[in-house]
Amino acid sequence: MSPLATTLLAEITARPQQFDEIVDAHRAVPWRTFLYAWGELRAADLLTRDDDGNFVAVRK
Amino acid sequence: MNNTGKQSFRDFLGALEEAGELLRIRKPVDVRDISGLMAQTPKAAFFETIKEYPDWTLAGALVSSRKRLAIAMGSTENDVGAACERGLMRPIEPVMVASGPCQEVVHTGEAADLTRLPYPLMHLFDGGPYIGGTFVVSKDPDYGVNVGSYRMMYRTPKETGIDLVSPSDMRFYYQRALDKGKPLEIAVCIGVHPKDMLAASYKAPINQSEYSIAGGLHGAPVALVKCKTVDLEVPADAELVLEGELLPIGWTADEGPFGEFSQISGDVKWNPIFRLKCITHRKNPIFYLLQMPWENDWLAAPVTEAAGLQALRIASVEPVAIRAPVGGCGYWSLVASIKKRPGEGKNAVLALLSVAEVKHVIVTDDDIDIHNPDDLEWAMTFRVQADRDVIILSGARGKHIDPSIKSWELGKGGLPTTAKMGIDATIPEGVPKKLYRRIKTYGKDRVKLEDYL
Repeated sequence: MSPLATTLLAEITARPQQFDEIVDAHRAVPWRTFLYAWGELRAADLLTRDDDGNFVAVRK
Repeated sequence: MNNTGKQSFRDFLGALEEAGELLRIRKPVDVRDISGLMAQTPKAAFFETIKEYPDWTLAGALVSSRKRLAIAMGSTENDVGAACERGLMRPIEPVMVASGPCQEVVHTGEAADLTRLPYPLMHLFDGGPYIGGTFVVSKDPDYGVNVGSYRMMYRTPKETGIDLVSPSDMRFYYQRALDKGKPLEIAVCIGVHPKDMLAASYKAPINQSEYSIAGGLHGAPVALVKCKTVDLEVPADAELVLEGELLPIGWTADEGPFGEFSQISGDVKWNPIFRLKCITHRKNPIFYLLQMPWENDWLAAPVTEAAGLQALRIASVEPVAIRAPVGGCGYWSLVASIKKRPGEGKNAVLALLSVAEVKHVIVTDDDIDIHNPDDLEWAMTFRVQADRDVIILSGARGKHIDPSIKSWELGKGGLPTTAKMGIDATIPEGVPKKLYRRIKTYGKDRVKLEDYL
């Protein structure tokens, strides 16, 4: 997993978040780089959702 | 203009520019700022330089007003529904061509990567950036070709979700493929003329091709080319085509929320997954970013209005004017005036309530200006007795994104129903018309106020 994907997962594990919150926290990263990292998490099925639409890390 | 005479997405941009309705933004823009910038322009927006995406320009908010919709339709603002209906009445079959600009550039294998496309996050609470403004082609071995419009939220460079929660022909096609354990091939076209988008969103009978409807709206056939990796045909003049398939996994992947055309943030949905095989596009492609909710609402209005006009004519009621108000998102409400004969107020209400998911209907006589809310209120005040002129139906087809139907109680893939209400605001049978004689000011035509100022 890329360093950015690892960071994103750690942040979501620490606190479930809306997608726009996650985007805002990583505005310094190029958008395509962000999308690749996000894609890594989704491809590995590491994310699910809570009732408010927050992204939540899957416990494995 | 295409060889067939049909207008393209670029022709529409040209028409907007000629009408002074297109704002060109020349400074380089971060793709993440495009939604916020687009929301601030009263005109359609054209972004000429997008950071990280040197090959692309982007256009959006193209039909975010009835004025620009009328430009697309080549009609007046009050006549868009009738113009749409005229097109629907004269379908023109598509024609095949050997090649088209939509395939000037082809990306397969690793190069087929959804992060190549400049689509931003649209709204707070959205579950990710998504591709809207789609013209999605699918095919069923028994029922033929279908075209619809579905949003697709980014998952990975090779995958998106696809918003298939509502009833549609493509949902039906997907279910049939799913029952056989097979994927459903689709081609997603982006950057087509608004008339093509209207055809895609029109609820045509399942055996009628939306391509013929688009041809009718244009008055010229749609030229089609064969896709590169799937057994489908797409409009040759599209800006961009995504070829791939819906995986046979059912409604199992979380997607959304999306900012909905109901003008509210939606909920997380459960949808199938689209797997990308190939991207084709024009040289110097223009990405179309559909601005939710306004473009969706205005694109819905003429289709709803045209369907209402057709429903009235089938019911042998003569329509005079019709309006799908933007407050009802161009979709859930219809207001119509008619030339009434006894009993036709109720017939008209029932006919209009049969249109798609329209849930509220008002019918007036032809002396009421339905575009004037005060005139409409007056008719409802003095021509309606609620115990006999309001019709309420239960259990009709509904749409998930209406919170009042409690779709969360349905479970994954469940389809909702809705109540419908119609108000017959025509002069009741047995009430003399003379009782509705409107007051008129004495002498108004003889004097002019400015002569006394």
